[in-house]
Amino acid sequence: MTEPALRTENLTKRFGGLTAVDNLNLSIPSGRLHAIIGPNGAGKTTFFNLVSGLLAADKGRVFFKGRDITGLQPHEVSRLGIKRTMQIKSVFPQLTVAENLWVTRYATNQVLHPFRSASRDPETRERVELTLEQIGLPALAHRPAGTLSYGDVALLEIGMALISNPQLLLLDEPTCGMSPAETERAVEKIKQLARTIDIVIIEHDMSVVFEIAEDITVMTQGEILASGSPDEISSDERVREAYLGRPEDEDYVEEAINA
Amino acid sequence: MMRPHVIARVMLIAFGVFLVAAPWLIPALFNKFWVSVIAEIMIWSLLAASVNLLFGYVGLLSFGQALYFGFGMYGVAIGVATLGLSFWPAFGLGIFASVAIALVTGIFAVRLTWHYFAIITVVFSLIFYFFAVSVKPLTGGDDGINFTLPPTFSISGVKGSFSDANFQYFFILATVSLCFFLMHRVIESPLGKAFVAIRDNDVRAALIGLNVYQLRLIAFVLAGFLAGVSGALFAFFGRYASASYMFYHVSGEAVVWAIVGGAGTLCGPIVGTTLFIVIRELVSTHWEHHALIVGVLAILVVILAPKGLVGMWNEGLARWCARAEGTSARINLQTEP
Repeated sequence: MTEPALRTENLTKRFGGLTAVDNLNLSIPSGRLHAIIGPNGAGKTTFFNLVSGLLAADKGRVFFKGRDITGLQPHEVSRLGIKRTMQIKSVFPQLTVAENLWVTRYATNQVLHPFRSASRDPETRERVELTLEQIGLPALAHRPAGTLSYGDVALLEIGMALISNPQLLLLDEPTCGMSPAETERAVEKIKQLARTIDIVIIEHDMSVVFEIAEDITVMTQGEILASGSPDEISSDERVREAYLGRPEDEDYVEEAINA
Repeated sequence: MMRPHVIARVMLIAFGVFLVAAPWLIPALFNKFWVSVIAEIMIWSLLAASVNLLFGYVGLLSFGQALYFGFGMYGVAIGVATLGLSFWPAFGLGIFASVAIALVTGIFAVRLTWHYFAIITVVFSLIFYFFAVSVKPLTGGDDGINFTLPPTFSISGVKGSFSDANFQYFFILATVSLCFFLMHRVIESPLGKAFVAIRDNDVRAALIGLNVYQLRLIAFVLAGFLAGVSGALFAFFGRYASASYMFYHVSGEAVVWAIVGGAGTLCGPIVGTTLFIVIRELVSTHWEHHALIVGVLAILVVILAPKGLVGMWNEGLARWCARAEGTSARINLQTEP
């Protein structure tokens, strides 16, 4: 049996009295697109922050392809090939679109050359042009990233993830704030990527989740509520309850019994 | 068609020609005194460039760059006056001293950002200022160290020495130009792009795999190098070193020069330094409150041109060129049959 792409053991993170991630034991196998869903405050983004090193876990361990990455710094995690996008879109606003891609490409190198011109390195240049084509932004290559529309920033983020040759991609609500047309484009891109890269995606748009995910994990209050195929999840009673609440008349019945 | 970078290149060449011709041009037009003012401006603009590298490119506002300027000065002065070194070893000692102290203080300082970083840089510069004032046998305390400068080189009877005003001017011009050229190369390099990425968004920079702490430290040491060269040149220029140049008041002036000129642009520090030193030289002999003009100007620029004078110029130029291109495109369209 091959090692799972990502595995956690008793992973726990507390913020004061709130336990955001509670004793999480999750195993995400390689080669399948995995979605994490759950209501707001379920601990999904905290989980990503723990994996990518932005937060230190209070307890538990994280394994990437069998390797213990608990407690590594964000740049160390990134250099192992785990890349992520942020829920609130996050690029380098004063750099141009092309420069955003250059610097992301260069960041995968151990040593940054201090004197050679960044824009003239032919290998990087080709790769940047290729990536611009892939995300469909060649026309905006020389625009500062801070002036792009929200959807284009999201595409740029996906491009930045692409150009760094990731092995595991953590996407935090990639289609949030996108127009339907942009969402469709992003979904196509993600499906295409999933053929070669392990992807874990946090998403609120259920149509997107059920279109692309092969496995779904549902989190509530820092714990796993259910895990399984899209069909299993959509028919799971507890998931319906967590998302939709219980029908009101049932509450009345219960109240009546307790009264 | 005029493009912004063509105009910039033409201006750069004109500026270079002016600087090379200045030792003959300025005495003919005004007064010999202004040649040494230009030399002084070049030296100080390097200190402003040191602030600019940290603030404009990495996003760290240092109010302590005078510390490394002071170490450059003292390295030279102690090297010549106490250790009896000749020109180049003393120059090397000055630069080494400032780079070494930048590394040591940087290890602590770049753990912090924003106001915490600004405060720790002030604290470091105060610590070493009071240290320099109190260790009188080594630093001369308040009186400083005066020394006689050894010749720069002496090859088969041909001597180059700072006692020759033209030699002094061109030595400073060459050294400062070299430093600005190096800074230009660094800014355009992958390293420089990484600096700007950290300035823009340090969390994101870490997530793409940049070692933010290490890169900030590299920038801090590079800035220490620029300030150190600046201080060493100033010691040669004045044949003098004093603790008063390590005071944070000097650092603050460099911050104002860099921001008014345009932080995050290569030439901003040169423009800012030139503006304020020329004002000081013109006004201070007539009016003792010339600092008032400095203050008013600084406030006006920060409010009206937040990217500094060079930033404002670049934006204006880009807009003008875009408009010129737009009109010529329209003309082309109209002339089509």
